[in-house]
Parts: sequence; C-alpha cells; structure tokens
Amino acid sequence: MNDMRSRFSFDRIAATTLETLAWVGLATAVVAILDSVATPAGLGSLYLIAVLAVAIRRGQMAALAAAVLGVLILNYFFIQPLHQLTIADSDNVVALGVLLLAALVVGRLAGQSRLRAAEAELRAEQAAAREREAVMLADAATALLGGTDDLVTAISAGLETAGRGELRLGASSAPDPQDGEISLRLPTDARPVWLYAAASASWTEADLNRIATPLARLLDVAAERENAAARSAEAEAARQADAAKTVILHAVSHDLRSPLTAVRTAAAGLREEGTTDEDRVALIDAIEDESDRLTRLIGNLLDLSRIEAGAVHPLTDWCDLLDVISGTVSHIRDPLSSGRIQIELEGELPLVRADASQLDRVFSNLIENGLRFSPPDQPVRITGGVGAGKVTVRVVDRGPGVPGSQRSAIFEPFHSAGGDRRDGVGLGLAISKGFVEANGGELRLQGDSADGTAFAVSFPLVEQPAGVG
Amino acid sequence: MSAGGSRVLVVDDEPQIVRGLRVILTNAGYRVEEATTKQEALDAVSVRPPDAIVLDLVLPDGDGIEVATDIRRWSQVPIVVLSAVGDERQKVRALDAGADDYVTKPFGSEELLARMRAVLRRKSEDGDSAVRLGDLEIDLADRAVRRDGEQLHLTPIEFDLLGKLAEHPGRLVTHRQLLQEVWGPGYEDETHYLRVHFAHVRAKIEPDPSNPRYVITEPGIGYRLRVE
Repeated sequence: MNDMRSRFSFDRIAATTLETLAWVGLATAVVAILDSVATPAGLGSLYLIAVLAVAIRRGQMAALAAAVLGVLILNYFFIQPLHQLTIADSDNVVALGVLLLAALVVGRLAGQSRLRAAEAELRAEQAAAREREAVMLADAATALLGGTDDLVTAISAGLETAGRGELRLGASSAPDPQDGEISLRLPTDARPVWLYAAASASWTEADLNRIATPLARLLDVAAERENAAARSAEAEAARQADAAKTVILHAVSHDLRSPLTAVRTAAAGLREEGTTDEDRVALIDAIEDESDRLTRLIGNLLDLSRIEAGAVHPLTDWCDLLDVISGTVSHIRDPLSSGRIQIELEGELPLVRADASQLDRVFSNLIENGLRFSPPDQPVRITGGVGAGKVTVRVVDRGPGVPGSQRSAIFEPFHSAGGDRRDGVGLGLAISKGFVEANGGELRLQGDSADGTAFAVSFPLVEQPAGVG
Repeated sequence: MSAGGSRVLVVDDEPQIVRGLRVILTNAGYRVEEATTKQEALDAVSVRPPDAIVLDLVLPDGDGIEVATDIRRWSQVPIVVLSAVGDERQKVRALDAGADDYVTKPFGSEELLARMRAVLRRKSEDGDSAVRLGDLEIDLADRAVRRDGEQLHLTPIEFDLLGKLAEHPGRLVTHRQLLQEVWGPGYEDETHYLRVHFAHVRAKIEPDPSNPRYVITEPGIGYRLRVE
C-alpha cells in the first residue's frame, strides 16, 4: 500500500512539474513573439495567466514555482540587461514584484478553491457510499419482508445486487472466505453469519463495520420470523393430526361396532325359544360372517399401524409371485368366491426379493377388493409378466372402475369407493401399497374405468439366484 | 370322523376360548384336558402325556414358544399353536421351536379339526404307504406318483419334496424342514430351491398348475398337501 502511494505521488509530482514547465514555456513563447511590440514589464502579466492556470490545475505550490520561474525567465531573457539576473530599470523591478505578488495571491486563491472542490468531491463520494449502503440495507429489508425461505440467501442476493457483486453473506460457524475476501462476523444474536467483501472492492473495513450492525439486526429479525413460522406450522400439523385421528377413531368405532352389534343380536336371537332351526342356522352364519369381518378389520388396522409407524421390516427372501398368489387363493374360505378367481399366468415368473407373508396380505386385499366390486357372475383375473425391467402381476376386476377424480385418493387410508366401508374396505389399498413399497415394489392403478380396474404390483427384475440344487 | 378318543390338552388362559374349544373337540370325539398356565401345561404333559396339544402362544406366566421348546426336549407329542393375526414372526418361531402346525385366531372349527386330524395321522395309517388325493396316488414305498393309474415322471428331488409332504398329509412342513431333510444341513436358507422345484412338481401333478389343488403354499412359512 505504501509502495502504491509513493509511486502514485511520484507520478503526480512529475506530471505537475511537466505541466508547470509547459504553461511557463507557453507564456515565454508568447512573450518572445510579442517582445518587439510591448514592454517586458507589461508582458509579465502573461505569466500571470500561466500562474493562474497552474494554480487552478495543480495547486498553490506549483503556482508559486511557476511565478518564480516566470519572473526569472522574464528577467533573464527579456529585461535589460539581457542574460543577467540583474535589473537596470526600477520600473521593471516594480513590475516583477507585482507579478510575483499577484502570482502568489492568485495561486493561493486558486489553490484554496481547488482544495474546496476536492473536499466537495470527497463529500459527494461519501454521500454516494452512504446511499449505496442505505439502498443495500433497504434491499435486504425488502427480502426479509418478502418472506423468502432462506433469508441469508435472500439478503445475500440483495447485497450482491446493491454491492455490485462485491459483498456476500454466508451462514457458517467458521468463516469461509473465497480467494482474497475480507471476512467480518456480523454481531447476530442467533446463528453466526459472516460478511465477505471482495479484495478488489471499494469497501473499506470502516464501511463494512458500519453496515454490519444493521445487517445483523435484520438477520435476527429474519431468524425470529423463521422460528415463529416453524412454530405455527408445527401447531397446524399437530391440529391436523388430531383432526385425522378423530376421523379415524370415528370410522374405526363405527366399523367395529356394526359387526359386534350383529353378533350380539344373533346371540340374542339364538336364545329365543321360538327361533326355528332354519333361523338358528342363519343366525350362526351371521355370527361367523361378522366375526370374519371383525377379524379382517382388526388385521387391517394392525397392518396399517405398522405401516404408518414405519415398522414393516420385511423378511426379504426369494419369492415366486405365482406361488404366493396360489397360497393366498387357497385361504379364501368361501368356495363361491375362490371359484371366481382365474389365474392366467403363463409359465414361470422370475423370482423377486420380498417378504412372502406381506405379499400374501397384499394379494389377499387386492383379490378380496376385486371380488367385492365385481358383479357376482364375473371373474377376478390375475395376469402378469416380465417387461421394462420389472416383474408385474395384475389383479383385474370387472367392477364399476375408479372415476378419474378418485384415482389418486383410493390409496389413502379410509378412502372407499361409494362410501362403502364394510370390512374396513377403505384400508385394503392403503395397506397393499404400504407393504408393496416397503418391499421395494410398486402398486399402481391401471385400466380405464369403463373396463373395470386393474391393480398392478411390480417388483424390480433382479439377477436370479444361481444353482437350484 | 371319529377321533378315536384321543386325549387333547388345551393350553389357554381365556375361559371363553377354552369353553369353545372343549365343545368343538368333544363333539369331534376327542377327550379334552385343560391347562391355563405354562407351569400347569408342563406338569400335565409330564404326568400323563396327551396325544396332542393345542397351545396358545400368550400365557400368563410365559410364552407358548417356551412350552413347545421344553416339551420337545423329551416328547414328540404333536403341538398345534394358536397364533394371533398379523403375528407371522411368532408363528415361525413357534414352528422352529418344534410346534407341528398352527391355526390363526379367530379360526373356524373345520380348520382346527383338519389340523388335529393331520397332526394325529400316523404314517402307517391303514398299513398303506400310498397316499391318495382325488385321482392322484403318491406311493412312498415305490417312490412313484400316478394319476389315474398312469405314472408321472418326477426327478428324485421333486419326489423327495412331494414325499415329505405326503408322509403327513395335511400337515404343514416348513421351508427349514424341507431344505434340511432333502438337501441336508447348511441349506436352510436356500428357499429359492423350493420355489423352483415346487413349481416343477406342480407343473407335473396339478391339473391347473397356476391354481394348485394339492400342493398348498403357506406364504413365508412352508407347504402342505391338501387332503380334503
């Protein structure tokens, strides 16, 4: 820095000297031309112009030098006796004295005005700098009020615009400056934020210190706002979770109470003395059916709670999807129902990695759903194959299909087509999707609503195990 | 079918379930004894071994798996466990501990009685080593499988697998048991062997292999031969 200043100063002295010499030289040239038509003392005022010019442009010291030099040249070259620094005529002495004095006064006046001009310029520069800081802080404040997600980033962007890319902010516990940047810790209450200024920047340390405090206050306000927003979001999430729990409790208690009521009523009917044998059989059937319904509902609730709690923990092993489905179908008790299931899988499917008993729950839900929504004379078909790097099995029914508006909602718990929630129907698809995804597969709804519904269960096609004994 | 007066020990602490089981089993011709705790169960088995045990997995003084483990140290009495829905792990642990089969609560009477018949069925029942399933005949002595009298060609491993199921028709045979007995120790985790070979067995013996009538899969647990 010192090197630069002295070099700068040296250049300036050289320039000043040259310019002073030039002005004096110019005046001398004019004096030489006019020497024959005017008195040397009168011509001396020409040097006054040169002194004035130098004073305005180069200041008081240069003006004094120009005046002395001018007087010496006039004396030596133009006043008798020539080529001596003596003066014969006393008029000329006075004239030279006046010239010197005038030069001093003019030079001083010009120099002062020049200094004032320089001060004014400096003040203007400072005013511009303050304005720049003010604009920058205003931009930062705007970013804050705009409620952007990450306020450090937002304010930093504002800074970069206002600070012409020379300033930036970074939130980190330790400073992390880039090449040659100056780092300054902002006096924030909350997390530490650093202000970085580029080395080439016009920002001095004093400038940076001046903006550090208002920036820190802005960031603190921003942090407080973020906290408040987070707190209200948490409160809202808790409220929604409570609302959802209430809905689920209502749904579950309704679904549990209906079969219980049916069982209780059937038992009371059995106790009546007047009940015929035929009625007794019907009541016993009702008890069995309603108990099965309760069993399914409780099983589904248990599965759902495991899925929602992320506690599925599949016991992954090699699974033959066809094998799993045949097991599922063999457990469907009602022979009328199981007769409607058509397995249309050709040949063998590649083995997939999954938990067989969880897949059993998946296919049991999908097949029972299909049976429930299909007309009684229509089959539920199971098709599938390999393609696009996946092993896929589809459960296809001839039911009324799923309207476009509900296609994404049907996988939500407690959603059910037509508001029918018998047997906890509203849980089956949510459970199936949960189990399939926990096993690394995919459950999608396919087929258009006019042609029934197809649920496709896909698993990645993996390299098959070597050697089968 | 008469149960020939076999004695069944029911181990469960739920009076209503015990009462229901007593009615169902007695009507089917069994003689029913009861135990409500783990200790009572072990005492009853050691004093007078029953012909079969129906064992609940949740007992007031312990867990049914411990009862099965203890009994297996000195007795091969058939054990059918009662497991709760959604409790696949417990089920597998009980089977590994030596239980022979399971029914999932709540269960129907036909299901329970089918399991009881399967675990009580002797290998040498009727002095015949052939098992008949509809038009299918599995001859364990000749290592032959016939449909309508016509011989089907199974590889030795395929016959071993089918034979293991046929030794106890209707009874569950776990993956572990099949792998140990057919391939030998050290192969217990190679369940994909079973998937592949049972697919072949089904292709040969089932009228509709994709909708099997005889070889039934218990997903994640094992296989059984359907007899009725």
